Amino acid sequence: MKSLKEGIRLKNQKSYSLQKSKNINGWIFIGLPTILILLFSFYPMIQSLYLSTQKGIGIVYEFNGLGNYKRLFSDPMFRDAIKNTLIYLVVQVPVMLFLGLVLASMLNIPSLKYRSFFRTAIFLPCVTSLVAYSVLFKSLFSLDGIINKLLMGISVISQPIPWLMDPFWAKVVIILAITWRWTGYNMMFYLAAMQNIDTSIYEAAEIDGASKVAQFTKITVPLLKPIILFTTILSTNGTLQLFDEVVNITGGGPGNATVTISQYIYNLSFAYTPNFGYAATVSYAIVFMVAVLAFIQFKVAGDNDE
Amino acid sequence: MKKFFSMMLVCVLVFSLVGCGSKEDTSKGSQGGEEVAKQESSEKGASSSDGEEVTLTAWCWDPSFNGAALQQAEAIYKENNPNVTLEIVDMGKIDLEQKLNTNLASGITKGLPDIVLVNDSNIQKFVKSYPGAFADFTGNLDISQFSSYKTDILTVDGKLYGVPFDIGVTGMFYRRDYLEEAGFTPEDLNNITWDEYIEIGKVIGEKVGVHMMTVNPNEEALISVMLQSAESWYITPENQGNFVGNPVMKETMRLYKEFVDSGISKPVTGWSEFVGSFNAGEVATVVSGVWQIASIMDEPSQSGKWGVAPTPRLDIEGGVNASNEGGSSWFVMDSSENKEAAIDFLVSTIGGSSEFYESFLEDSGGVGSYIPAFDTPAYAKEDTFFAGQKVYEDFANWSTKVPGITLGMYTQEAKDALKNELPGIIQGTDIDAALEDAQKVFEQLVQ
Repeated sequence: MKSLKEGIRLKNQKSYSLQKSKNINGWIFIGLPTILILLFSFYPMIQSLYLSTQKGIGIVYEFNGLGNYKRLFSDPMFRDAIKNTLIYLVVQVPVMLFLGLVLASMLNIPSLKYRSFFRTAIFLPCVTSLVAYSVLFKSLFSLDGIINKLLMGISVISQPIPWLMDPFWAKVVIILAITWRWTGYNMMFYLAAMQNIDTSIYEAAEIDGASKVAQFTKITVPLLKPIILFTTILSTNGTLQLFDEVVNITGGGPGNATVTISQYIYNLSFAYTPNFGYAATVSYAIVFMVAVLAFIQFKVAGDNDE
Repeated sequence: MKKFFSMMLVCVLVFSLVGCGSKEDTSKGSQGGEEVAKQESSEKGASSSDGEEVTLTAWCWDPSFNGAALQQAEAIYKENNPNVTLEIVDMGKIDLEQKLNTNLASGITKGLPDIVLVNDSNIQKFVKSYPGAFADFTGNLDISQFSSYKTDILTVDGKLYGVPFDIGVTGMFYRRDYLEEAGFTPEDLNNITWDEYIEIGKVIGEKVGVHMMTVNPNEEALISVMLQSAESWYITPENQGNFVGNPVMKETMRLYKEFVDSGISKPVTGWSEFVGSFNAGEVATVVSGVWQIASIMDEPSQSGKWGVAPTPRLDIEGGVNASNEGGSSWFVMDSSENKEAAIDFLVSTIGGSSEFYESFLEDSGGVGSYIPAFDTPAYAKEDTFFAGQKVYEDFANWSTKVPGITLGMYTQEAKDALKNELPGIIQGTDIDAALEDAQKVFEQLVQ
């Protein structure tokens, strides 16, 4: 009897220590990435939050409290940058996502021929370098560029459009460029998700007499909702950080008509007399905006089915 | 659970952003290390002439121009100092400035070179933003041998911070054939005002059918040239905005609008379009720095058709027919282990050798501000591309007339503040109101 008890106790002890060693292994696996994230991600974040309370030039700075944040509200350049970025966001993201959705559902039609060719062609812009395609767009849309020649050739316009010299058209070019670059990327997400939708649902809808459009709006879109939310946040995030295209196509011009927040941060740090403190403040302004926008998007689209 | 994942997603997305704005703080700890390095460097510097091998690292941004110049300087220096070797690191200009900025801001001097090329408009900005980062040249260099407008730029708070290198003394490159076709002689372009320039442009436009010039509404190079020609700048020497109550600025804006309104200018949007316009023969004149010669000569079929006249002047008090566009200077990092050797190398070649400037001109077409070099035969050479005109001699003469100005710390901010108003000014906004706006934007920018 005694030995039996002993045996059970021993067995318990054994499994307990096995459990323990498993736990330790787990913590080691988690520990390394945690330390790396703390060191290379969270530490700089906290450091830049601290930096955003500093005022001065280069390495000569002093504590400024919330002065930098106050400055944000009276900074006309910052206001321009926010305005431009929001225009890109409000116009470009919905257009791009809608296009991506339409293209994806077209590519998903089973009877479509040369599907992989179209898929590759639409996705191809995403693998081009940001700088390379920006330079191409710049030359396409120059005053005597191919777009103006084409439009004049088919008599749509009689005078060349000063694409990059006019505040309105310059924004249009930027929006066209990023739409061209990123539509295929988003389309890929939709296509992958669509292929996971059970075809029997569509068959049932067909039998019930639902039109193709109704199938798209009543079946495809609702089932893709998590993916649409995901791409919306991803695109919002990407647009708020827009930099390469604007710098290379218009350089922020004409005037400051196409300057983005990221470019303004870059200018504050590198083009102007370096003011890292204020640059950090502006980058925290983006953080705030992304957080708010993502929160709104979750509220609107994500959580109501819970 | 879904909510938890949603929040995680938000967090990850949000914080992936912060990285782009974060800059490392200066680490106070490294300063002690610098002191040690400095002591070592003075020992090493002293012994460098005794034959110990020294390798100097230099950062510059154009292998065929300033990089080539360093190689020429190295060849000259090696005759007396065979122990000194140069390692030239070439990168894009913007990359170089960014790298220098981040290195200096981090306070870690390990990655820095010994010698670095600095664009003149960045000098005050760098020196004031990173005190103690650059070696003091005061007393090492005989500044009386250089054009004063160039050494003015290099002097910050009474200290000299480098060796003057190339200059961008401006001239008006013109097409002789177009001028003749419109019934003008080269003398008609000699020492003219911008208003006369516009009138000539109208005639050339009528009779030859080409534009007089290009205007890039998103670039301020020409405006800078015009301002300096009347001893003015976007900002005052005290680093205040110089838009309101500045007659030079107002006159420049009036002319800028006139360039567009009179129809003499072809709009361009970028550098390649600008260069393309004169290589393709679409414009009759190019007002630009002396370094533009290389681009103009890129089109061999136009050989013999070009000439150079003095820069047009502003028709107001103090306006002269000479100005400057761009230029750079060589700096030595104070943290360099070979500081003394680097200073000695620069001072005895780029800072005081006519031989260097001769080969610089002959091999790279570069013009410096070292006055004794202007008497060397290289400058008196007739150039067949310019129909036998002694272009370099002319540029050298004009360079001594360029008004000296202080570029200050906030030139880029002021340019951006003005650029914001340029489209409006071209479309007819009141110039005074636009300049007042620019002044306000500038004041907001440089708090």
